[in-house]
Amino acid sequence: MVVAAGIAPAGADELPIFDAHMHYSHDAWTVVPPKEVVEILKKAGVKRAMVSSSNNEGTKMLQDVAPNVIVPELRPYRSRGEIGTWAKDPTLIPFLQDLLSKRKYVAIGEFHIYGADADLPNMRKVVDLAKQYGLYLHSHSDADAVDRHFQQDPNAKVLWAHSGFERPEKVREMLRKYSTLWCDLAFLTSHANNGKVAPGWREAFMEFPDRFVVGTDTFTPERWHYVIEHARWSRQWLSDLPPDVARKIAYENGDRLFGNHAGAQR
Amino acid sequence: MTRLLLLLALLAGGAGASNAQQLLDWSADEIASVGQHGPWPPPPVRDPSNRVSGMPAGILLGEHLFNDLRLSGDGRMSCATCHQAGRDWSDGLAKARGNVELDRRTPTLWNVGYLHWFGWDGAGDSLWAQSIRPLLDPREMNGGPARPATLLRSDAQLACGYGKAFGEKPGIDDEKLLVDTAKALAAFQATLVSPRTSFDDFRDALVAGDRDRAARYPLAAQRGLKLFIGSANCNLCHLGPRFTSGEFGDVGIPFFVRPGEVDTGRHGGLGRLAASPFNLLGKYNDDPTGASARRTRHVQRQHTNFGEFRVPGLRQVGRGGPYMHNGSVLTLEDVVKHYSEVSPDRLHSDGVPVVRPLALSKEQSADLVSFLRTLDTEVPPRPAAPPLCP
Repeated sequence: MVVAAGIAPAGADELPIFDAHMHYSHDAWTVVPPKEVVEILKKAGVKRAMVSSSNNEGTKMLQDVAPNVIVPELRPYRSRGEIGTWAKDPTLIPFLQDLLSKRKYVAIGEFHIYGADADLPNMRKVVDLAKQYGLYLHSHSDADAVDRHFQQDPNAKVLWAHSGFERPEKVREMLRKYSTLWCDLAFLTSHANNGKVAPGWREAFMEFPDRFVVGTDTFTPERWHYVIEHARWSRQWLSDLPPDVARKIAYENGDRLFGNHAGAQR
Repeated sequence: MTRLLLLLALLAGGAGASNAQQLLDWSADEIASVGQHGPWPPPPVRDPSNRVSGMPAGILLGEHLFNDLRLSGDGRMSCATCHQAGRDWSDGLAKARGNVELDRRTPTLWNVGYLHWFGWDGAGDSLWAQSIRPLLDPREMNGGPARPATLLRSDAQLACGYGKAFGEKPGIDDEKLLVDTAKALAAFQATLVSPRTSFDDFRDALVAGDRDRAARYPLAAQRGLKLFIGSANCNLCHLGPRFTSGEFGDVGIPFFVRPGEVDTGRHGGLGRLAASPFNLLGKYNDDPTGASARRTRHVQRQHTNFGEFRVPGLRQVGRGGPYMHNGSVLTLEDVVKHYSEVSPDRLHSDGVPVVRPLALSKEQSADLVSFLRTLDTEVPPRPAAPPLCP
């Protein structure tokens, strides 16, 4: 019935994981304290984790404990309740500008935006800020919104959260269309079952081995206790791919794109 | 237009002027939607994986075993200790109490025979497999795998009842007798069908166009029902005559059980299902066609399953609190408040959310509770089971 945190650390021979989709929001801070988070990551064999938090203090708390592990993302939410209001909140951009002037981030996100809302002034300004600071946009969105990001900045660097929950054929189409689009596989199970990569997705991974990263998506505090199981599950299906492709998706892509920023500047 | 025609049809069906204000305007779509919550009771169910399901001798043996304290390790607990007839087959506690306090609430057994997954986490794919778990669990009855066999072989009445149910004397195979015990228990539990309610009378009258009879249903309950099948969309999960899909969901209830530990819900349940020697893919399934194992064969574990729990049926719901899988919500009013105020942040955002804050007014909340209470009815005391072999 229950999963205890007391699981042995991942073995040295296990594939390391760069987890590109984690949150450490305000409701997690006391029930899964920073030191426990770091212990979970260690046991899971997660070498680096890209983290965004509502509010962003959570990310800083983790950086303080594990600066070489935590890759910081700037989240445009001060509380998780802003998930549906941020795009029209007039106080948002000054909030982001203030934090960008004080701390270093690798990406802005994960934010939620769909369709024509991606053309709202706040979203346009976030695209501008990402361009100005050389940041990735971590966008939980449909394909339409991704198109709009690139219309606003053809050189934008977009990490498409959950691969848009799209079919692999559509994901491939988008990856062919935009050379600076990457996809995270967080919260998806359609690409693998019982340790086997699903048809369609296999072709996507083989065609674009440099464009995918994995992620757990700790969107509630309880989900921190899923990180170890998720890493184990990821290794299982990754082992069904050629080793060089598996390594890229497991951690090399994350390291190459985001990893050098871990612990760099705060 | 459809709405008007239906109203006319209802009026033509014998509407009295004095009752006209007692019945809200129900559209054809709404009537169809209400109709899907019946008729009640449904036909008796027979489980093809259980050869004594629906058999009077198996049911009677099951009722005796259900109340037998000797199935527990210390002789102080039977199935009926937690699943009490006088408490709608639950115990009224927030968390079940076996040898220790457990992490989940005792689910009611009303209408349990119609489910296809069992337990809050669906770790059982048959009622008989699910019935084995508490017999063996050290935290619950802690009976040990050989205890049912010993009891069936040593007690003349039970041995006689077993012979009538299974057509043979209790043999030497302890595990087989454990499974047969569970199959008899399941046969009994599958007979526990909740009685008709005032909602059922309303539903039948509405579907039949009997306006006078439908108008006896309280207006507050009518308004609540309209919410339930309408803007609140409760019937997306609480559907059908039993008001449940029988599937699983995360409705925003925290699932930490203590610091550093979570109840993984459906995700863990599916792991236990796959590992169980008693699942429907195993040798104890009595269904020669294999059709009953279809769900078990095809079910897949998904990330969404982490922290999901079974959608409970709502019949007798007002008599069954505390609520949710862990008894963390005290009253029916609090349940409605939860859905009115649930934080969308606790729910993953992908596509159209199944659960969202309903932002109900005080009146709407009261109406919804009024409707839910019409799914309750008084149940007469249950008479003692007749002897197995008089």
